[in-house]
Amino acid sequence: MPDLLADKKDREFKLIDRILSGHHEGFYELIAPYQRRVFMTAFDILQVEADAEEVAQEAFLKAFRNLRSFRREAQFSTWLLRITVNEARMRLRQRREISFDAVFPTNEEADFTPIFLADWREIPVEAVLREETRRLLCESIAALPEHYREIITLRDVNGLNNAETAEILGLSLGNAKVRLLRARIMLRDLFVERLRDRKRHRLSREVTP
Amino acid sequence: MKLNCKHIWRELSNYLDGEVPPEVRRDIEAHVAQCRHCAALLDSTHNVIVLIADERRLELPVGFSARLRERLERELTKGGRLD
Repeated sequence: MPDLLADKKDREFKLIDRILSGHHEGFYELIAPYQRRVFMTAFDILQVEADAEEVAQEAFLKAFRNLRSFRREAQFSTWLLRITVNEARMRLRQRREISFDAVFPTNEEADFTPIFLADWREIPVEAVLREETRRLLCESIAALPEHYREIITLRDVNGLNNAETAEILGLSLGNAKVRLLRARIMLRDLFVERLRDRKRHRLSREVTP
Repeated sequence: MKLNCKHIWRELSNYLDGEVPPEVRRDIEAHVAQCRHCAALLDSTHNVIVLIADERRLELPVGFSARLRERLERELTKGGRLD
């Protein structure tokens, strides 16, 4: 497994060399595997499809223009996602939908109590096959505060490790882990609430003649 | 060490990421074996994490790649400098 990763990194670095030496069309090949991840990251942060597409385009353009400054300590995908997160944050700021001071609560260490679930089968993994569940999940992500959406999309949607996630967000590893914990529990709670509402709704429909 | 529910909640994320020391893992599993609340919490959170990573959650907008290519092409032909 690590060898496969190293191979991929190697291939990407060679491709980057070719692009930098003037074969610009190689850039399409470089970014092809990451289109969905960049779009999803932008979408999870911005929650508006058109904005997410524009930000994704900006991120790819920026990556192209700044390719020479990419230090090869990190993976290309991590670097690309960092650009994406920064672009998405800028877009949010422009929209002024969110005051950035309000976004970072100071009581992150405050106590919390997760919603009690009688049965874990209330969230079966197979549920994603159902369109409706997928929609409820998207709604739950949309309902998260922005700083929780960011960390969830980097760590759990894109599968970056904790160190990469912390670096992109400019957090210490410890703070990133605390934020991730809160984000995961809140996402789960929001999802549980929505699943229950749906069940209740369906039951009441069945009872009414 | 005997853990209570709050300990479990605090370690939940690290546990799911496989980032707790073996002895803590053992303690967590001992607690979860006899606490339905924490067992459900652990399983459901794990499942939500699996669900959001699923690629089928979100489709790329129709024409996304074509529009991206168009935009990049404009840039690349416009001198397309790489500084």
